[in-house]
Amino acid sequence: MLAREHRLALGLFLSLLLAALVATVIAVRASALPDEASGKMLAVFDPRLDEQAMFAALVRAGGRPLRRTWLSSVWVVAGDTPGFAGSLRQAGAIGAYGELPISPELAGCFAYADARTRELFALRP
Amino acid sequence: MTDVAESPSTRWLYAPETIIVSGCLIALIAFGVRSTAGLFTAPISDAHGWGREVFGFAMAMQNLIWGLAQPFAGMIADRYGAMRVVMVGALIYGAGTALMAFADSPGVLFLGGGVLMGIGIALTSFSIIMAAFGRLVAPEKRSWSFGIATAASSMGQFVFAPLGHLFIAAYGWQNALLLLAASTLLMIVLSVPLGASKGGAARGEREIDLSMTEALQRGFGHGSYLLLISGFFVCGFQIAFLTVHLPAYLVEHGISASLAAWAIGIVGLFNVIGSYFAGIYGGHASRRQGLVFIYLARSAIIAAFILLPVTAISTVLFTASMGLLWLSTVPLTVGLVTLMFGTRYMATLYGFVFFSHQVGSFFGVWLGGYLYDRYGTYDPVWWLSIALGVFAAIVHWPIREQLAASFAAPAPR
Repeated sequence: MLAREHRLALGLFLSLLLAALVATVIAVRASALPDEASGKMLAVFDPRLDEQAMFAALVRAGGRPLRRTWLSSVWVVAGDTPGFAGSLRQAGAIGAYGELPISPELAGCFAYADARTRELFALRP
Repeated sequence: MTDVAESPSTRWLYAPETIIVSGCLIALIAFGVRSTAGLFTAPISDAHGWGREVFGFAMAMQNLIWGLAQPFAGMIADRYGAMRVVMVGALIYGAGTALMAFADSPGVLFLGGGVLMGIGIALTSFSIIMAAFGRLVAPEKRSWSFGIATAASSMGQFVFAPLGHLFIAAYGWQNALLLLAASTLLMIVLSVPLGASKGGAARGEREIDLSMTEALQRGFGHGSYLLLISGFFVCGFQIAFLTVHLPAYLVEHGISASLAAWAIGIVGLFNVIGSYFAGIYGGHASRRQGLVFIYLARSAIIAAFILLPVTAISTVLFTASMGLLWLSTVPLTVGLVTLMFGTRYMATLYGFVFFSHQVGSFFGVWLGGYLYDRYGTYDPVWWLSIALGVFAAIVHWPIREQLAASFAAPAPR
């Protein structure tokens, strides 16, 4: 049985994670491209899908898969047809993004990672 | 436990749990918002056609001003209590963050992102929160409360850095800055429970009453305090060097960006765990010995990491173990300041210790880049970090873990 203070700490930690998750979902949804978008973009899939299934979905949507990013469920894809972003979603992608800024940050008391670090992890089409 | 009269209707507001939770949330926001600052390098620089050095200078200024302002923020908190300091700090912090959104010249950026944010961070930082906890939390829970405050600060970057990134993508960089500025204002509300103490010593503890000048003179005349200050310089050096240069080092040694990203996440996660448990440890065992162990362990782990081939496994092991030791020095160092000098001047005296940390941080970042450019390798800085870790262990060893004689309250007549 955890002592009272540890229960408080655990509760606080879990609440913060939950709040961060909710805020992340809201912000991710807000940053998705509109259905009518076309051009080069990032297509995000359910991570449980295998590589072939993702590739097939990109082709089905009328896109040209260009490369996979360091996040295995995120692909760079190009499609010139108007409404390409919407087609990607219909083909099974979770969403289409112009930029998916997922960059881990280290912070001590001098929390300022330089631009080079960020470039290492940037997910851009 | 508190200085204010408690009526049944306000009892919950000044309950220990409320104080701890609100203090932790303040630490989280204060640390979290600043950890997003670097995300704006590219958007601000590109929008105004400035070189990256303009933004970099503003951030360097922010860190320096934070360090310089921390002792003064501490003095005000020791005199007037944490609540008012945090309230004013939140306003300044928010104003600085918002000003960055509208900066149309480097001067305005330096004012907003450098000066105002630096002062705002000093006034809302975990140093102020921990000093408030020192006064408001029962002595047997004090070290634990320092640990949870540090862990909450660490969580701040975990929560805010990805959110900041997403805010920029979703709403544009200017709106993202305004959202972050708005979130700093939450600290005003959150600071209310800290108003349970108006400054001074913790209730029920007999502490010497000195003028601030006298307290500083006595503090700086205490050998163990000077040793603590010199040792904390090393913490700043090592952490700042790794913060800025580790990702580049990993990728340079063939670690994939994917693994490097995970490795950095591992540091962040283990940092939360390490900070929390360091607080618990400090409540039951020797803080001095804990610090000696941490600095020696850092040196040993860094040495092993750079001497062995850099592989996926060594990277994960290195980042997990360094994460555990990342900010775990903080609860123990704050605990030693409290032990040596009591709670009355805690924020001020820790503020000076922290200033040394920030100077170390500056050298860690700067020398990391300078020596890399000069020698084409990070090896000299790694070895310097190892040597400094041993130095820190040596200077912590003779610290006397007891109330300084010059701070002992005279016996009651």
